[in-house]
Amino acid sequence: MAAAVSGRYRLPHEERAALGLLAPLALVLMAVTLFPILYSLWISFYGLNLRRPNRMPFVGFDNYLSVLTNPQFLESVGRTAIFSVISVIAVSILALLAALLLNQEFPGRRILSACLLIPWAIPSVVNGLMWKWIYDANYGALNGALLQLGFIDAAMVWLGDANKTLGLIANAFVWKEVPLASVLLLVNLKAIPADLYAAARVDGAPAWRRFLHVTLPALRPGFMLVAVYEAMMAVRHFDLFFLLTEGGPGGASDVVAWRIYVETFRNLSFGTGAAMSYILAVATLLMSYGLIRALAQRV
Amino acid sequence: MTIVVNTPSRPLLPIVVRGCGLAVASLLLLFYLLAPVAWLASSSLQTGREIVSVPPHWIPDHPTLRNFKAIFSAIPGLGASEAPAPDGTNSGGFIPSTAGNLLPAMLNSLIVASIVVLLNLIVGVPAAYAIAKIRFRGRNLALYTVLATRVIPDIALVVPFFLVVRKLGLLDSLTSLIVTYLAITVPFSVFVLASTFEQLPDDLDRAARVDGCSRSQVLLRIFLPLARPALVAVGLFAFLASWNEFLLALMFTQTAASQTLPIIVAAFTSDFTVSFSFLNAAGVLAVLPPAILAVVFERYIVSGLTAGAVKG
Repeated sequence: MAAAVSGRYRLPHEERAALGLLAPLALVLMAVTLFPILYSLWISFYGLNLRRPNRMPFVGFDNYLSVLTNPQFLESVGRTAIFSVISVIAVSILALLAALLLNQEFPGRRILSACLLIPWAIPSVVNGLMWKWIYDANYGALNGALLQLGFIDAAMVWLGDANKTLGLIANAFVWKEVPLASVLLLVNLKAIPADLYAAARVDGAPAWRRFLHVTLPALRPGFMLVAVYEAMMAVRHFDLFFLLTEGGPGGASDVVAWRIYVETFRNLSFGTGAAMSYILAVATLLMSYGLIRALAQRV
Repeated sequence: MTIVVNTPSRPLLPIVVRGCGLAVASLLLLFYLLAPVAWLASSSLQTGREIVSVPPHWIPDHPTLRNFKAIFSAIPGLGASEAPAPDGTNSGGFIPSTAGNLLPAMLNSLIVASIVVLLNLIVGVPAAYAIAKIRFRGRNLALYTVLATRVIPDIALVVPFFLVVRKLGLLDSLTSLIVTYLAITVPFSVFVLASTFEQLPDDLDRAARVDGCSRSQVLLRIFLPLARPALVAVGLFAFLASWNEFLLALMFTQTAASQTLPIIVAAFTSDFTVSFSFLNAAGVLAVLPPAILAVVFERYIVSGLTAGAVKG
């Protein structure tokens, strides 16, 4: 029956109707996403610097060459990779634990799942301010708690220590990302057919084996979704770097997003800034190709 | 859990162990999620002097609403009076002269977020309906394109956005924020709404059309009421995203006329003279609306976030 009707749905009339309904969306996205990204491509081939806005020579691939041979940029790529890998792994593990817990039935579960969304909902600026205060070397809660518990003997420098900065910023990022990832994994958990567990139980598999051989394999799609999405978010993340360290100390948290900001709005070199942006955009697009396909097939 | 107790094959001990395990795990998760926010709130109730005590006072000895009073009594644009603290000292209790910008910034955030929500529904609903219920050529391509626009990092759009906004003379106006926020929120709205409409039976659409309803009537009278939870979710996402957005606002806004809450809070954060006790109060004000929305509408948000995931 569906086939018979779908013939009628393919009339040009239907396409006109669809076009009309999609027009406002198309207009918005063309004006505010497509045009800017093409404009950005164009800028990336010119030597536009706002310090001398009237001269805008065509430089071809020079911006890309200078960016890709700039050790500062390459190092920021490395830091972005480290930050992203730490974040994705930590988010996945913590979200798995939270989802396993919330998948159980117990009194108070509803309150817990309502609180789960709070970190997700709060502004990233406040997230930054909150952790900046917690990490504060003089009066921070982290030093305070560790001293009181006897884990350290003297207050420590946290964000100001180049070896710790990236990990500490990742911790703040992870705190805000765990809720969404937990929700995604929880849906996946709930969709695992109960007879898979029943079968494993009949086979006499203990709980940890059921987890290892039923739960984890069934969570593959959920983990894929979480990993790609969180990697996308981590690679582009800017807010915490701006608020917590401004790329410091000594460039220890100078990631790609921060580099683009400095290049564009502090050095006012829009050409190379656009080239960096483009490299980042293409990299994320490639990274998320599979994710988009998987999502689109669901509708 | 009582059901489990009834099965004779299960001894009591594992149930007690399970109960304790769940309780401990729940408390750990609750602590992880809420401790940072609780510390933010506790700090906001301390004076500039108490907040620098070592070890920290986890619960304020003398909770005070002084910071909040300063924010709400400050005259916008003129700044707060810099009177010495009530306890006669000025040790770190400094209220910044820009404290008066906080409430107007909150209003700016509210205006921007509300308009973005409205525009999201106006633009997103028809598009989602078309993608979900009309079998036109290029339907998949349309959806791919919409989703792909969200993959482009905001920071990559900042350079061209800035140049265009500057050329149009829209720097330092709420319009530039509304338009860009619409573009960054509407793809997800379309995705959530399309997944929801897709789950409503095609027959509904067909039957109403046979009865002589126009497409817009079908959409308004049949689909929208059925999709109300998704509409709430989409509205919340757009609101929260706009309320929280920082990067674009940092680029486009320059004065109190257009600065949103995150910008003002960030400005305080990078100002070394501002006491963390005042800073935390500003943070609490910025956190309250989204946190309340998240807790109250938790079910809608979760079902919206996972729209389509069930079918996958």
